[in-house]
Amino acid sequence: MAAARATAPESSRRRPHTSTTRVLAESLRMFSPRREYKHPVMFTVYVLFLFLLVVTLYPAPFPDIQATYHPAYYEALTVILFLTLWFSHLAEAIAEAQGRAQADALRQVRSGMRARQLAADGSTRWVGTDLLRVGDRVEVRAGEAIPLDGDVVEGAAQIDESMMTGESELVTRESGGDKTSVLGGTRVVQGTIRIRITAVQGQSFLDRLIRLVEGAVREKSPNELALDTVLAGFTIALLVVVVAFLYLVTVFPYVHLSVGTVIALFVSLMPTTIGALLPAIGISGVNRVAKTNVIAKSGRAVETAGDLDVIILDKTGTITVGNRLAVQFVPAPEVAEAELTARAMLASSLDDTPEGRSILRLAGRRGAASQRLEEGAYRVVPFSAERKMSGIVLRDGTEVYKGSVKAIEAYAGPLPAPLRQAAEEASRKGMTPLALAANQRVLGLVLLKDVVKPGIRDRLRELRTMGIRTVMCTGDNRLTAQAIGRESGVDEVIAEAKPETKLEVIEREKAQGRLVAMTGDGTNDAPALARADVGLAMNSGTSAAKEAGNMVDLDNDPTKLIEIVSIGKQLLVTRGALTTFSITNDVAKYFAIIPGLFIAANGGVIAGVALLNVLGLGSPELAVLATVFFNAIIIPLLIPLALYGVRFRPKSAIDLLRQNLVLYGVGGLLSAFVGIWLLYQALLWLGQQPLWQTLVHLASEGLPLLVPHFSGAFW
Amino acid sequence: MADFAAIVEIAVVLAIILAIAAPFGDYLGRVYTNRPAFGDRILLPVERRVYRVLGVSARESMGFREYAGAFLLFSALTAAWMFAMLTFQSDLFPQPTGFTPMSWDTTVHTTASFLTATDFTHFAPEVNMTPWGNLLALGVPMFLAPAAAMSVVAAFARGFIRKDGTLGNFYVDIVRSLTRVLLPLALVGGVVLVVLSVPDAFPPPLWAGPHASYPGFAGPVAGFQSIVYLGSNGGAWTSANVASSLANPSIWTQDFGLGLFLLLPFAFPFAFASIVRRPGEAWPYLGTILIVFVAGLALFLAFEGPPGLSLSGYRFGVVPDSSFQFASVYSNTGSNNLNIAGLAPIPQMSLLFGMFTQNTPGSDGVGFGTLLVFALLAIFIGGLMVGRTPEYLGKRISLTSVKWTALILLYHPVAILIPTAAAYIGGFVPSTSSFATVPFCAGSVCSNAHAFTSVLYEFTSEAANNGSGMSSFHDVTPFFNLVGAAVILIGRFLPMVAMLKIGSEFARSNSLPPGPGTLETRSLTFTLYLTLLLIVISALLFLPVIALGPLSQIGG
Repeated sequence: MAAARATAPESSRRRPHTSTTRVLAESLRMFSPRREYKHPVMFTVYVLFLFLLVVTLYPAPFPDIQATYHPAYYEALTVILFLTLWFSHLAEAIAEAQGRAQADALRQVRSGMRARQLAADGSTRWVGTDLLRVGDRVEVRAGEAIPLDGDVVEGAAQIDESMMTGESELVTRESGGDKTSVLGGTRVVQGTIRIRITAVQGQSFLDRLIRLVEGAVREKSPNELALDTVLAGFTIALLVVVVAFLYLVTVFPYVHLSVGTVIALFVSLMPTTIGALLPAIGISGVNRVAKTNVIAKSGRAVETAGDLDVIILDKTGTITVGNRLAVQFVPAPEVAEAELTARAMLASSLDDTPEGRSILRLAGRRGAASQRLEEGAYRVVPFSAERKMSGIVLRDGTEVYKGSVKAIEAYAGPLPAPLRQAAEEASRKGMTPLALAANQRVLGLVLLKDVVKPGIRDRLRELRTMGIRTVMCTGDNRLTAQAIGRESGVDEVIAEAKPETKLEVIEREKAQGRLVAMTGDGTNDAPALARADVGLAMNSGTSAAKEAGNMVDLDNDPTKLIEIVSIGKQLLVTRGALTTFSITNDVAKYFAIIPGLFIAANGGVIAGVALLNVLGLGSPELAVLATVFFNAIIIPLLIPLALYGVRFRPKSAIDLLRQNLVLYGVGGLLSAFVGIWLLYQALLWLGQQPLWQTLVHLASEGLPLLVPHFSGAFW
Repeated sequence: MADFAAIVEIAVVLAIILAIAAPFGDYLGRVYTNRPAFGDRILLPVERRVYRVLGVSARESMGFREYAGAFLLFSALTAAWMFAMLTFQSDLFPQPTGFTPMSWDTTVHTTASFLTATDFTHFAPEVNMTPWGNLLALGVPMFLAPAAAMSVVAAFARGFIRKDGTLGNFYVDIVRSLTRVLLPLALVGGVVLVVLSVPDAFPPPLWAGPHASYPGFAGPVAGFQSIVYLGSNGGAWTSANVASSLANPSIWTQDFGLGLFLLLPFAFPFAFASIVRRPGEAWPYLGTILIVFVAGLALFLAFEGPPGLSLSGYRFGVVPDSSFQFASVYSNTGSNNLNIAGLAPIPQMSLLFGMFTQNTPGSDGVGFGTLLVFALLAIFIGGLMVGRTPEYLGKRISLTSVKWTALILLYHPVAILIPTAAAYIGGFVPSTSSFATVPFCAGSVCSNAHAFTSVLYEFTSEAANNGSGMSSFHDVTPFFNLVGAAVILIGRFLPMVAMLKIGSEFARSNSLPPGPGTLETRSLTFTLYLTLLLIVISALLFLPVIALGPLSQIGG
């Protein structure tokens, strides 16, 4: 959010330690059992930590454990388990803090806002925004903030939306048409508008955004639940393995296994890395979407975006710049070019669209004189989607129309053959032929050229690499549409689309089980937006469109959909990569811990088991500590990866799999071997330092000296 | 080098099996999807008559509950038949001299064991069976059990091509498994074994008595042995199994047997590709199977055979016999031609590993089914790694599927480790000194580890429905009989019902055509990934007991 960008530094300057202390406080608060219970893997670690804590403080009631009890060892294990949990909490707390920073900034926008409510008789009075209801009307004047989301019902205004969209250019909002919607929190710069409130406090986009980034509405997606299931299943299986092992070794005197070591073994083998980071990954995915200035109504929608199969794109404004410009006049046979340009100028003189203006410019260059029309001497026939033409009727009965070839043919009869050819050829070249007729006589063509947005070709290619098919929907005729399709590289072109065409395409694709996304802004896009799996509505669009979509883009940039797809995919990739990392990491941990447990009569490790000791770790206790410590420390090391997502570049699925397998699978294996070896050496070195030896001595002597007083009374 | 020649011989046998497995798998696929197949002209009318007699309407397609229900009912009826036959065989049929009926708990174990193609034997046929009892109580389920297993896995596979949530008709599958696959192939196999001079006397003559020499136990051995191999069964006419000259007189019968028990397991990946109609879909599975199979065999051969270290007697040489034993365990057949307890520790570990994965290639049908479940897990994690909700063959992997997949992953270590631990904690394991001694064990650690390996092997073999055993201790006790029977039944029915459930989940969802975003399973990358995941997960779950068992035998 722009607001976040703008105000977060300011607020952190004011209260420099707030966010750090709050993250720390939150991370400690997460030790509450109710919170831990939500994540099965970490909850298991939590239970084991509590058990170790009790055993360390009061070893007396556990005679079995006491037999192998070494205070410093148990204390170290307890601390490491605490760290494991705490690191996991930190990851989650940091992700939440990132969201909260955005939310706080947004809240400031709204705090203490009042509005001028309109009564039925037209009088106004000031009320707090919390008293406003849907349907209430308010008046907002220049310099005032718009209290809540609404539709302009009267007037027009220039509005500064930069606090919501980051776009510093003012936007125009006016009653009627498709540009009626205003956002709560934005500011009117010029003009006075009357607004009908469409969302009460607590339900506006601002509120939704706040709730979303704060994680209040976060629910686990099906993918996340499935991964949770796999991880929980794996944890249970490992629990059985470790418990069976614990019981079995009691039979074999040559295996030295203390309860502490079993817990260490279990914790290292559990998928704690992914388990610890899973909540943070989910939260940060939503945050990343919010950072692109898109409000997703649920975290699930973000994930769905990663799965999309088909994206329906509008041609105008999405694939093309949106402004078709006149480039050429083609007079009909027996019509002088001068007549054509003059008439074209007349027909466009009151057409304020970019196309209209470009016709005026071109005609001017061709020598046509601009005509001054007197007030009341003409009647404008506006463009309508049904008739597909617009024009002007003068008082003397002269009518001039310009519009699609079909529309003009319907009005003035068939085009002469050379014109028809010229029109078709222009279409093939990606131009739009506009036919011009005066008094039911065809005068010629104006050729408009549609400009494909720079860079759109590359982005569409990226989509194709990711396996997403693009469908371009346009009201243009087939030839024009196909030319643009070729130029931009979309996979399918649907020409001469009617408002309901998008919905038909969505139904067609969904019937085949595909996931479909579309962008839209008009009210007649609403049904399709609602039906699409991901409906990205433009903020400038109507309330109906925004209500129907499950995402709203504050920047009004339809190509944003491509970024959202990437974020959705990145979310899944991050989960998969860290799961793989977690699993391959475990292999190394086995090799570090197991050999030290099998001690032969001569004091050495049993030869067969010693084969597993590829790291050559001499001390079993240090090997265990190094391993669990590695298991804990890898979590904070991977927090950035969880928060920002793994690098995602569009590639074919199999290339991605290969790349991520090498990176996170093989990487996980090697990093664990190296990391454990390094930590082991560090512990070995530390153990030789006199200061450390004193500390360990104090720890192993001091605590038992303190505690028995309590433990005796306690038990 | 004699060894080299023997290795080439094994490689040639494997190559021949693979060459047959591909077209045969395609034929299997046709059989299980009711497409035109070889033999239709003769067999279709026969099958129709069978359906009419059984009152089955062949067109009716069953959902998960009906299919699983029919499978369980069928198994229950088979079990009832077996239990009755085992209990009353001495009343119904002439008994040989020295016949001793089984205890009730051994009968329970035997019923469970042969009902599931495990064929872990806690009895000696020469003493505890009559010739007719052998044929009817144990021979009949040797056809029915693999037929049911193949049917269930075929139904699982069909889930990927159906959209109405149903899996097909269990009774049709059973009948066709018998008429199209097991009966004709067993007939061919039996004839070949007869030609290779395995005795085949029918009706079975009365045995000569418990202390007679092997020719005195003749019977329809060739026919019996044929379905023993073909159906991943692993039982035998006599207790010496295929280490006896009766069932396995020459290297030729041994190599033929190896081919017979590897054929269906190796054909199933091709059958799957044929069922889902995706040419090449067999290769990732076959690749994974071959990598683990060859690596395991290499490990076995590299550490087996140094003189003085192994107890095993080799009748046809170290490499041929080891390869046979290895392939028999890896295909969950469990026919023994070696004394597994006498193998060196690393070969024992290699055998155990094959039963931990139970899918390289595993038994007829179920082995492949388990591999498919593993592949679903691989696709799930791999699918996340490529940024898409995981899907296979155009069908999304639902939360329910993931749950049942996790269950299949989970039950196997539980079914092995809990009974093993319980046996020790409950004091059901006899003292170490009563275990067979092994020459390579010098110290007490090794002896303890050997005893542990034996107990672990017993439950692993039962959980994997394998049937091979180390038989180095007295396991015919109520504990090992009843707990063993429970492990066998869990090891069979839990994963198979779960496979049906997963299949019906897939059968319920629409399929979408593959695009560039779809994870291509027919690739070397995916094959290696599946292989590594299989090895890593099996290792993670079983490394502690591997260290406690086989590895501690070395130098301990």
